[in-house]
Amino acid sequence: MAEMERDEKVSAGYRALGAEEPPRALDEAILAASHRSPSRWRVPLSIAALLVLAVGVMLRMLPQRPDAESVALAPQVMETPRPVASAPAPEQQKPAALATEGRMRKEVAAKPASRESIAADAARSTPAPAAAGAAAETGVGAGKLAAAPLTPEAWLERIAELRKQNRKREADESLAEFRKRYPDYRIPQALR
Amino acid sequence: MLAYRQGDAGAFETLYVRHKGPLYRFVLRSVKVHALAEELYQEIWMRVIEARGRYSVQAKFTTWLYTIAHHRITDHWRKRGLQLVEADDADPPAPRAHEPEPRAEGRQDLQRLAAALAALPELQRETFLLHEESGMTLAEIAAATGATEEAAKSRLRYALAKLREAMGDG
Repeated sequence: MAEMERDEKVSAGYRALGAEEPPRALDEAILAASHRSPSRWRVPLSIAALLVLAVGVMLRMLPQRPDAESVALAPQVMETPRPVASAPAPEQQKPAALATEGRMRKEVAAKPASRESIAADAARSTPAPAAAGAAAETGVGAGKLAAAPLTPEAWLERIAELRKQNRKREADESLAEFRKRYPDYRIPQALR
Repeated sequence: MLAYRQGDAGAFETLYVRHKGPLYRFVLRSVKVHALAEELYQEIWMRVIEARGRYSVQAKFTTWLYTIAHHRITDHWRKRGLQLVEADDADPPAPRAHEPEPRAEGRQDLQRLAAALAALPELQRETFLLHEESGMTLAEIAAATGATEEAAKSRLRYALAKLREAMGDG
Protein backbone atom coordinates (compact mmCIF):
# COMPACT_ATOMS: atom_id res chain seq x y z
CA MET A 1 0.00 0.00 0.00
CA ALA A 2 1.33 3.39 -0.89
CA GLU A 3 2.18 5.60 2.04
CA MET A 4 0.02 8.62 2.57
CA GLU A 5 1.80 11.83 2.05
CA ARG A 6 2.32 13.86 5.13
CA ASP A 7 0.17 16.94 5.35
CA GLU A 8 2.89 19.50 5.88
CA LYS A 9 0.66 22.20 7.23
CA VAL A 10 -1.04 19.93 9.75
CA SER A 11 2.33 18.46 10.69
CA ALA A 12 3.84 21.90 11.15
CA GLY A 13 0.85 22.94 13.23
CA TYR A 14 1.12 19.82 15.28
CA ARG A 15 4.82 20.43 15.92
CA ALA A 16 4.03 23.94 16.97
CA LEU A 17 1.77 22.61 19.70
CA GLY A 18 4.87 21.81 21.65
CA ALA A 19 7.48 19.18 22.20
CA GLU A 20 6.72 18.03 25.69
CA GLU A 21 9.20 15.72 27.32
CA PRO A 22 8.73 13.50 30.36
CA PRO A 23 9.80 15.04 33.66
CA ARG A 24 13.40 14.44 34.57
CA ALA A 25 12.39 12.53 37.69
CA LEU A 26 10.45 10.11 35.54
CA ASP A 27 13.48 9.61 33.26
CA GLU A 28 15.62 8.87 36.25
CA ALA A 29 13.13 6.44 37.76
CA ILE A 30 12.83 4.49 34.52
CA LEU A 31 16.55 4.39 33.89
CA ALA A 32 17.16 3.30 37.46
CA ALA A 33 14.59 0.53 36.99
CA SER A 34 16.35 -0.58 33.82
CA HIS A 35 19.55 -1.06 35.82
CA ARG A 36 17.74 -2.86 38.60
CA SER A 37 15.92 -5.16 36.29
CA PRO A 38 16.63 -8.85 36.59
CA SER A 39 19.67 -10.22 34.93
CA ARG A 40 19.11 -13.07 32.56
CA TRP A 41 20.23 -15.45 35.26
CA ARG A 42 18.00 -14.08 37.93
CA VAL A 43 14.86 -15.87 36.79
CA PRO A 44 16.53 -19.29 36.42
CA LEU A 45 18.25 -18.72 39.75
CA SER A 46 15.01 -17.84 41.43
CA ILE A 47 13.43 -21.01 40.03
CA ALA A 48 16.37 -23.05 41.28
CA ALA A 49 16.10 -21.42 44.69
CA LEU A 50 12.42 -22.25 44.79
CA LEU A 51 13.13 -25.89 43.94
CA VAL A 52 15.77 -26.13 46.65
CA LEU A 53 13.35 -24.64 49.13
CA ALA A 54 10.59 -27.05 48.11
CA VAL A 55 12.87 -30.06 48.42
CA GLY A 56 14.08 -28.81 51.78
CA VAL A 57 10.54 -28.46 53.06
CA MET A 58 9.68 -31.95 51.81
CA LEU A 59 12.71 -33.44 53.49
CA ARG A 60 11.79 -31.74 56.73
CA MET A 61 8.26 -32.99 56.55
CA LEU A 62 9.10 -36.64 55.91
CA PRO A 63 10.61 -37.48 59.31
CA GLN A 64 7.73 -35.75 61.03
CA ARG A 65 5.22 -38.36 60.00
CA PRO A 66 6.41 -41.04 62.46
CA ASP A 67 6.40 -38.37 65.14
CA ALA A 68 2.77 -37.66 64.49
CA GLU A 69 1.96 -41.33 64.73
CA SER A 70 3.91 -41.69 67.87
CA VAL A 71 1.85 -38.90 69.41
CA ALA A 72 -1.28 -40.79 68.53
CA LEU A 73 0.11 -43.97 69.94
CA ALA A 74 1.80 -42.56 72.94
CA PRO A 75 -1.14 -42.95 75.32
CA GLN A 76 -1.46 -46.55 74.34
CA VAL A 77 2.17 -47.22 74.97
CA MET A 78 1.98 -45.38 78.24
CA GLU A 79 -1.10 -47.30 79.25
CA THR A 80 0.72 -50.56 79.07
CA PRO A 81 1.39 -51.33 82.70
CA ARG A 82 2.54 -54.80 81.94
CA PRO A 83 5.87 -55.92 83.26
CA VAL A 84 8.54 -56.29 80.72
CA ALA A 85 8.79 -59.82 79.61
CA SER A 86 11.73 -61.46 81.20
CA ALA A 87 12.61 -63.33 78.09
CA PRO A 88 11.43 -61.46 75.06
CA ALA A 89 10.81 -63.44 71.98
CA PRO A 90 13.35 -63.20 69.20
CA GLU A 91 10.99 -60.96 67.28
CA GLN A 92 10.82 -58.67 70.27
CA GLN A 93 14.54 -58.20 70.20
CA LYS A 94 14.50 -57.03 66.66
CA PRO A 95 12.99 -53.59 67.17
CA ALA A 96 16.41 -52.11 67.67
CA ALA A 97 17.04 -52.68 64.01
CA LEU A 98 13.71 -51.19 63.08
CA ALA A 99 13.92 -48.26 65.41
CA THR A 100 15.33 -45.95 62.80
CA GLU A 101 11.97 -45.67 61.17
CA GLY A 102 10.67 -43.40 63.89
CA ARG A 103 10.62 -42.42 67.45
CA MET A 104 7.48 -44.47 68.03
CA ARG A 105 9.30 -47.63 67.21
CA LYS A 106 12.05 -46.66 69.57
CA GLU A 107 9.57 -46.28 72.38
CA VAL A 108 8.08 -49.66 71.73
CA ALA A 109 11.45 -51.26 71.34
CA ALA A 110 12.52 -49.83 74.64
CA LYS A 111 9.54 -51.45 76.35
CA PRO A 112 8.94 -54.78 74.73
CA ALA A 113 5.77 -56.27 76.10
CA SER A 114 4.19 -59.64 75.89
CA ARG A 115 1.99 -60.39 72.92
CA GLU A 116 -1.08 -60.76 75.03
CA SER A 117 -0.69 -57.60 76.99
CA ILE A 118 -0.23 -55.37 73.99
CA ALA A 119 -2.86 -57.11 71.97
CA ALA A 120 -5.26 -56.81 74.84
CA ASP A 121 -4.55 -53.15 75.29
CA ALA A 122 -4.96 -52.49 71.65
CA ALA A 123 -8.14 -54.48 71.44
CA ARG A 124 -9.44 -52.60 74.46
CA SER A 125 -8.79 -49.17 73.19
CA THR A 126 -8.44 -49.42 69.40
CA PRO A 127 -8.05 -45.66 69.29
CA ALA A 128 -7.20 -45.44 65.62
CA PRO A 129 -6.44 -47.66 62.73
CA ALA A 130 -2.78 -47.03 63.25
CA ALA A 131 -3.03 -48.09 66.84
CA ALA A 132 -5.26 -50.99 65.97
CA GLY A 133 -2.73 -51.99 63.41
CA ALA A 134 -0.13 -51.91 66.07
CA ALA A 135 -2.19 -54.21 68.20
CA ALA A 136 -2.73 -56.67 65.43
CA GLU A 137 0.85 -56.58 64.39
CA THR A 138 1.91 -57.57 67.84
CA GLY A 139 0.62 -60.96 67.00
CA VAL A 140 3.81 -61.26 65.06
CA GLY A 141 6.09 -59.30 67.25
CA ALA A 142 6.39 -56.13 69.22
CA GLY A 143 8.92 -54.85 66.76
CA LYS A 144 6.18 -54.37 64.24
CA LEU A 145 3.89 -52.61 66.63
CA ALA A 146 4.34 -49.32 64.92
CA ALA A 147 4.07 -50.66 61.42
CA ALA A 148 1.61 -49.45 58.82
CA PRO A 149 -2.02 -48.77 59.80
CA LEU A 150 -4.20 -51.81 60.17
CA THR A 151 -6.34 -52.55 57.18
CA PRO A 152 -10.04 -53.26 57.73
CA GLU A 153 -9.47 -56.87 56.74
CA ALA A 154 -6.63 -57.29 59.21
CA TRP A 155 -8.71 -55.62 61.90
CA LEU A 156 -11.55 -58.07 61.31
CA GLU A 157 -9.12 -60.94 61.41
CA ARG A 158 -7.93 -59.68 64.74
CA ILE A 159 -11.49 -59.53 66.02
CA ALA A 160 -12.04 -63.09 64.82
CA GLU A 161 -8.94 -64.13 66.66
CA LEU A 162 -10.22 -62.53 69.86
CA ARG A 163 -13.45 -64.44 69.45
CA LYS A 164 -11.53 -67.65 69.04
CA GLN A 165 -9.73 -66.89 72.26
CA ASN A 166 -13.13 -66.43 73.86
CA ARG A 167 -12.38 -62.78 74.65
CA LYS A 168 -15.86 -61.80 73.78
CA ARG A 169 -16.02 -58.42 75.44
CA GLU A 170 -12.81 -57.23 73.78
CA ALA A 171 -13.97 -58.57 70.47
CA ASP A 172 -17.31 -56.79 70.79
CA GLU A 173 -15.70 -53.51 71.74
CA SER A 174 -13.26 -53.76 68.91
CA LEU A 175 -16.06 -54.59 66.50
CA ALA A 176 -18.06 -51.61 67.73
CA GLU A 177 -15.06 -49.40 67.15
CA PHE A 178 -14.60 -50.92 63.73
CA ARG A 179 -18.21 -50.11 62.83
CA LYS A 180 -17.73 -46.53 63.89
CA ARG A 181 -14.65 -46.21 61.78
CA TYR A 182 -15.88 -48.11 58.75
CA PRO A 183 -19.66 -47.72 58.84
CA ASP A 184 -20.04 -48.81 55.23
CA TYR A 185 -17.82 -51.84 55.44
CA ARG A 186 -19.62 -55.12 55.03
CA ILE A 187 -18.80 -57.22 58.05
CA PRO A 188 -18.75 -61.00 57.57
CA GLN A 189 -21.73 -62.79 59.05
CA ALA A 190 -19.51 -64.83 61.33
CA LEU A 191 -18.34 -61.72 63.16
CA ARG A 192 -21.69 -60.03 63.62
CA MET B 1 17.16 -4.03 22.58
CA LEU B 2 19.07 -7.25 21.97
CA ALA B 3 22.13 -5.65 23.52
CA TYR B 4 20.04 -4.64 26.50
CA ARG B 5 18.67 -8.15 26.76
CA GLN B 6 22.26 -9.37 26.95
CA GLY B 7 22.82 -7.13 29.92
CA ASP B 8 24.03 -3.90 28.32
CA ALA B 9 22.21 -1.28 30.38
CA GLY B 10 23.71 1.47 28.24
CA ALA B 11 21.81 0.11 25.26
CA PHE B 12 18.55 0.72 27.07
CA GLU B 13 19.54 4.29 27.79
CA THR B 14 20.22 4.86 24.11
CA LEU B 15 16.80 3.51 23.20
CA TYR B 16 15.16 5.50 25.94
CA VAL B 17 16.69 8.80 24.89
CA ARG B 18 15.70 8.15 21.29
CA HIS B 19 12.08 7.33 22.01
CA LYS B 20 11.17 9.10 25.20
CA GLY B 21 9.90 12.38 23.69
CA PRO B 22 7.74 10.90 20.93
CA LEU B 23 6.33 8.21 23.20
CA TYR B 24 5.58 10.68 25.96
CA ARG B 25 3.76 13.02 23.59
CA PHE B 26 1.88 10.11 22.09
CA VAL B 27 0.66 9.08 25.53
CA LEU B 28 0.03 12.61 26.76
CA ARG B 29 -2.03 13.60 23.73
CA SER B 30 -3.89 10.32 23.83
CA VAL B 31 -5.08 10.67 27.43
CA LYS B 32 -4.72 14.47 27.71
CA VAL B 33 -3.97 14.52 31.44
CA HIS B 34 -0.38 14.99 32.54
CA ALA B 35 -0.50 12.92 35.73
CA LEU B 36 -2.22 10.03 33.99
CA ALA B 37 0.14 10.28 31.01
CA GLU B 38 3.15 10.07 33.29
CA GLU B 39 1.74 7.02 35.01
CA LEU B 40 0.98 5.21 31.77
CA TYR B 41 4.28 6.27 30.23
CA GLN B 42 6.19 4.80 33.14
CA GLU B 43 4.18 1.60 33.02
CA ILE B 44 4.93 1.19 29.33
CA TRP B 45 8.66 1.46 29.92
CA MET B 46 8.40 -0.91 32.86
CA ARG B 47 6.78 -3.44 30.60
CA VAL B 48 9.61 -3.00 28.13
CA ILE B 49 12.12 -3.60 30.90
CA GLU B 50 10.26 -6.61 32.23
CA ALA B 51 9.78 -8.11 28.79
CA ARG B 52 13.30 -7.71 27.55
CA GLY B 53 14.04 -11.39 28.12
CA ARG B 54 11.24 -12.29 25.72
CA TYR B 55 12.17 -9.74 23.08
CA SER B 56 12.95 -11.20 19.71
CA VAL B 57 13.59 -9.46 16.46
CA GLN B 58 10.25 -10.00 14.81
CA ALA B 59 9.60 -6.33 14.29
CA LYS B 60 11.35 -3.03 14.70
CA PHE B 61 11.81 -1.98 18.27
CA THR B 62 9.68 1.07 17.54
CA THR B 63 6.76 -1.12 16.45
CA TRP B 64 7.16 -3.31 19.52
CA LEU B 65 7.32 -0.29 21.82
CA TYR B 66 4.20 1.31 20.39
CA THR B 67 2.39 -2.01 20.43
CA ILE B 68 2.96 -2.11 24.17
CA ALA B 69 1.84 1.51 24.42
CA HIS B 70 -1.27 0.81 22.36
CA HIS B 71 -2.24 -2.11 24.61
CA ARG B 72 -1.66 -0.11 27.76
CA ILE B 73 -3.71 2.84 26.59
CA THR B 74 -6.46 0.55 25.30
CA ASP B 75 -6.56 -1.11 28.72
CA HIS B 76 -6.91 2.32 30.23
CA TRP B 77 -9.88 3.21 28.05
CA ARG B 78 -11.51 -0.12 28.73
CA LYS B 79 -11.14 0.31 32.47
CA ARG B 80 -12.91 3.61 32.10
CA GLY B 81 -15.68 1.87 30.24
CA LEU B 82 -14.85 3.30 26.85
CA GLN B 83 -15.00 1.09 23.83
CA LEU B 84 -12.84 2.02 20.89
CA VAL B 85 -14.86 1.93 17.72
CA GLU B 86 -14.54 3.33 14.27
CA ALA B 87 -16.31 6.65 14.43
CA ASP B 88 -16.73 7.57 10.79
CA ASP B 89 -18.54 5.61 8.17
CA ALA B 90 -18.89 8.40 5.71
CA ASP B 91 -16.17 9.84 3.57
CA PRO B 92 -13.93 12.36 5.22
CA PRO B 93 -14.84 16.00 4.70
CA ALA B 94 -14.05 17.18 1.21
CA PRO B 95 -11.60 20.01 0.76
CA ARG B 96 -13.24 23.39 0.62
CA ALA B 97 -10.46 25.09 -1.21
CA HIS B 98 -12.78 27.36 -3.17
CA GLU B 99 -14.70 28.66 -0.21
CA PRO B 100 -13.28 31.85 1.07
CA GLU B 101 -13.31 31.94 4.83
CA PRO B 102 -11.73 34.05 7.42
CA ARG B 103 -8.33 32.72 8.44
CA ALA B 104 -7.14 33.23 11.90
CA GLU B 105 -3.42 33.09 12.06
CA GLY B 106 -0.91 31.89 14.55
CA ARG B 107 -2.11 31.19 18.02
CA GLN B 108 -5.76 30.79 17.16
CA ASP B 109 -4.93 28.25 14.48
CA LEU B 110 -2.98 26.21 16.96
CA GLN B 111 -5.73 26.40 19.54
CA ARG B 112 -8.23 25.13 17.00
CA LEU B 113 -5.82 22.39 15.97
CA ALA B 114 -5.31 21.33 19.58
CA ALA B 115 -9.05 21.31 20.19
CA ALA B 116 -9.69 19.32 17.02
CA LEU B 117 -6.98 16.84 17.93
CA ALA B 118 -8.45 16.37 21.37
CA ALA B 119 -11.90 15.92 19.84
CA LEU B 120 -10.85 13.22 17.39
CA PRO B 121 -12.18 9.73 18.03
CA GLU B 122 -9.55 7.74 19.93
CA LEU B 123 -8.61 5.44 17.07
CA GLN B 124 -8.16 8.31 14.63
CA ARG B 125 -6.20 10.35 17.15
CA GLU B 126 -4.01 7.35 17.96
CA THR B 127 -3.25 6.77 14.29
CA PHE B 128 -2.49 10.42 13.67
CA LEU B 129 -0.23 10.63 16.72
CA LEU B 130 1.62 7.48 15.73
CA HIS B 131 2.02 8.88 12.23
CA GLU B 132 3.43 12.13 13.55
CA GLU B 133 5.45 10.96 16.51
CA SER B 134 6.73 7.47 15.92
CA GLY B 135 7.86 7.79 12.34
CA MET B 136 6.30 4.41 11.59
CA THR B 137 4.90 3.51 8.22
CA LEU B 138 1.21 2.79 7.83
CA ALA B 139 1.98 -0.92 7.78
CA GLU B 140 3.85 -0.60 11.07
CA ILE B 141 1.08 1.50 12.58
CA ALA B 142 -1.40 -1.15 11.53
CA ALA B 143 0.74 -3.83 13.13
CA ALA B 144 1.15 -1.88 16.36
CA THR B 145 -2.54 -1.18 16.70
CA GLY B 146 -3.81 -4.55 15.53
CA ALA B 147 -5.59 -3.04 12.55
CA THR B 148 -5.43 -3.66 8.85
CA GLU B 149 -3.41 -1.29 6.77
CA GLU B 150 -6.59 -0.18 5.10
CA ALA B 151 -8.17 0.67 8.42
CA ALA B 152 -5.08 2.54 9.54
CA LYS B 153 -5.03 4.50 6.32
CA SER B 154 -8.70 5.34 6.64
CA ARG B 155 -8.30 6.52 10.23
CA LEU B 156 -5.39 8.71 9.26
CA ARG B 157 -7.28 10.16 6.32
CA TYR B 158 -10.24 11.10 8.51
CA ALA B 159 -7.99 12.56 11.17
CA LEU B 160 -6.02 14.68 8.72
CA ALA B 161 -9.17 15.95 7.07
CA LYS B 162 -10.62 17.07 10.40
CA LEU B 163 -7.42 18.70 11.55
CA ARG B 164 -6.97 20.40 8.22
CA GLU B 165 -10.47 21.72 8.46
CA ALA B 166 -9.89 22.95 11.98
CA MET B 167 -6.89 24.91 10.77
CA GLY B 168 -9.09 26.60 8.22
CA ASP B 169 -7.49 24.79 5.38
CA GLY B 170 -10.14 22.20 4.75
